[in-house]
Amino acid sequence: MTRYLLRRLPSAVLVLFAASVLIFLLLRLVPGDPALTLAGPDASPETIAAIRHQLGLDRSIPAQYVTWLGDLFTFDLGRSYIIGGQIADLVGRGLTNTLVLTGAALLLAVVVSVVLSVVSVAWPNRWLNAVVAAANTVAVALPTFVTGVLLVLVFAVALPVLPAGGVPPDGFIARPDIAVQYLLLPSICLAMPVGAALTRFLTESLRTELRKPYVLTARSQGISHWQIVTRGALRNALPTMVTALGLQTGQLLGGAVLVEAAFAWPGIGQLVEQGISRRDYPVVQVLLLLSVAVFVTIQLVTDIAHAYLDPRIRIGGP
Amino acid sequence: MSSSQALVRRNFLRNSGIAAFAILGTGALAACTSAVSEQKAGGKDDAQPVRGGTLKVGVPTDVIPANLLTNSGSVPAVIGLVYETLVRYPNDKLEPGPLLAKSWTLAEDGLSLALELREDVTFHTGRPFTAKDVEFSLRTYADPKWSAQLKSTAAAITEYDITAPNRIVLKFAHPIGNIFDLLDTAPILDSETAAQLSTGEKFIGTGAFKLTQRTPNSLLVFERNEQYRVPERPYLDRVEISIIPDSQALVNALKSGQIAVAHSLNYRDNENFAKSDGFTTVSYDGAELQIYVGANVAQPALADVKVRQAIAYAIDRERIIAEVFRNAGYPVSLPWPKSSPAFDNSRNNTYTRDIAKAKQILAQTTTPPNLSLSYDTSYPYSAATAQIVQANLAEIGIGVTLDPIEPATFVKKLIGAEFPGLWVTTHSWAQFTPSTLTVSAYPFNARKNSSHFESPAYVDAADAAWKVKQGNSAEAIKAYQAVSNQLLENLFLIEIGVYNQQASTTRKVHGLNWTKRRETVLTDAFLS
Repeated sequence: MTRYLLRRLPSAVLVLFAASVLIFLLLRLVPGDPALTLAGPDASPETIAAIRHQLGLDRSIPAQYVTWLGDLFTFDLGRSYIIGGQIADLVGRGLTNTLVLTGAALLLAVVVSVVLSVVSVAWPNRWLNAVVAAANTVAVALPTFVTGVLLVLVFAVALPVLPAGGVPPDGFIARPDIAVQYLLLPSICLAMPVGAALTRFLTESLRTELRKPYVLTARSQGISHWQIVTRGALRNALPTMVTALGLQTGQLLGGAVLVEAAFAWPGIGQLVEQGISRRDYPVVQVLLLLSVAVFVTIQLVTDIAHAYLDPRIRIGGP
Repeated sequence: MSSSQALVRRNFLRNSGIAAFAILGTGALAACTSAVSEQKAGGKDDAQPVRGGTLKVGVPTDVIPANLLTNSGSVPAVIGLVYETLVRYPNDKLEPGPLLAKSWTLAEDGLSLALELREDVTFHTGRPFTAKDVEFSLRTYADPKWSAQLKSTAAAITEYDITAPNRIVLKFAHPIGNIFDLLDTAPILDSETAAQLSTGEKFIGTGAFKLTQRTPNSLLVFERNEQYRVPERPYLDRVEISIIPDSQALVNALKSGQIAVAHSLNYRDNENFAKSDGFTTVSYDGAELQIYVGANVAQPALADVKVRQAIAYAIDRERIIAEVFRNAGYPVSLPWPKSSPAFDNSRNNTYTRDIAKAKQILAQTTTPPNLSLSYDTSYPYSAATAQIVQANLAEIGIGVTLDPIEPATFVKKLIGAEFPGLWVTTHSWAQFTPSTLTVSAYPFNARKNSSHFESPAYVDAADAAWKVKQGNSAEAIKAYQAVSNQLLENLFLIEIGVYNQQASTTRKVHGLNWTKRRETVLTDAFLS
């Protein structure tokens, strides 16, 4: 196993190194320049040169890359050129906000999908099925930026009962009652398409389970339909739902970028957008490399798990 | 469905109902304070000053710490609350009034200025403000790395003579007509913490509010400066500025009571708020901005001034001001707003819309091939203005291709003078002493500008206006006429109109003020 791990590690390191070079070069190929962004439209060439020197952008690109890499190895993520502050703090804060939002959305999506699926399978009803199907279609079809605006218009502007956006001013922990109110609209907006997809998937899985022979046996033993659905079919359908949930989580994180913009939620999506639009190289570099590192780590862990379970992979067999 | 199934369903529904009621009930009990009610709390509408309260403000962009001296983005929000300057212009004229400087004497030859400073001022750290801080602040302002707008004026100060802790004499390389613009603009910085300014860690000034918390891309929190030199001011205990980049989200935040003041909304939204109960719109009069069409005169198609004249006659300025800016401004041919000593209404109508004349002028020269018209996509009014200009030029037979450019690239092209044809954008600084425009705003810079326009006569006119001893004297006004002549004759920048920044607020906000640089001042603000 150790030998397998040692065999896999170099390629992971190589991928990370190649990604770091690509990220560094690609950002510099994008038109625009942080020095000019800082200098503003009325700046003289002398001012721009002074800012460029201050940021170290007047050095050669290889020299800049080596410095950046050296800093990364010493766990010094550095400072943001434009947003201001330590990059570690910026990423930490953004990541916390994004994880809280996506976590709440995921929880909401799972709870709603399990309840709706169980209800529509346990008590099949034409009207109920039609309503659930219609709600699912709308939730999947409407993009998050539309549902976001609609939710705000209804619940924050017309009624108004919930905040239109932003994060709780005192943080998530100080006053949970206020935090929940701030979380509700963005997490509902983010959860809707995922919840709809999961509901469809779980309903279909439950129906498939209910057609299996063990259900017939259970019925013949006088077990109630409700118990068959919740204790039998649901238990058997849940593992496959977890797989679907994994796929949906990726969509959830992607959708978070748009929801963060609509609800002024200062998460990672907002940070990436700010960094790119203002050419804040150090921030974007770290965020992109972090994404690659997460992907590489997941891949590595998956491969190791596979190898642990399947000796053929471990020993390099077919 | 069997009766047992129905029973189970009833049980399930009943239990679900109880559970939902319990959850919601517990939530309601826990949430005994509604976030929305909290945001809206503020008392009755009453114009009498009231002590205390938190004012919540929404802005679309965060402050860029390294841009603290550039007057861009949300910098004016921070400067107006945290910092003070030596003098303060009223919003309607260019006569400096005392602020951190009590009085001053300009030498007869215009080569020095003696300033007497207040003695009762302390920084937020508690350290007393002295003449050394004036020297430090003006020297910092002149440092190119800060990209300050009036850097060239600060750089013309050759000597700082501190004769007493509260007296300083500034000596100049030549008479500086816009020296009070600098003293009104340059914030007094705390030398002990200035190193932490560009990183956004500490913003220490002498202003009415202290910056106590900054969460990048999210929130700026200011608290009352208890040691502020004006007794009983500020009225507010706290100001919170939320960063809300999405324009619609900003509108909704104001409508839902999440914020009480919204900056940089679309003009149509401001117009709607002005008509709505419970809201009002404030126009930052005296802190005008200008929208213009720039021309790259190095391009053969735009090299002939006749082509630029035809364009100037074709543009429908009235329509742009009415439709795009919802009449929050007025059309002009010259950059100067009405409060400027260089404002001349008769010459300001030099290029009013006249399609026949435009066609006639164009007939005397070669009609240019299709021109590109670049604009910055981050401002909705730039796109709308560019579309109207495109339609206007089509009427006189000039084809225009719109060229939307994202902000970072737009600035690069503007500073690098890389626009292939025309461009639409805005400028500021014309509301100050007119010579400031030609020494601080790069598009107007006589020696190097975005239009590649070079003219010894323009250089002479700009320098002569700058080196007049007093910026609002008769001699200066004559010099500004020469600058205006150059701008009208050469048309490397074709002015469209002057417009005002606006802020929409709930009616419970009173006493909101501003400086000529659009810095929001909340020293006298209160919530009713």
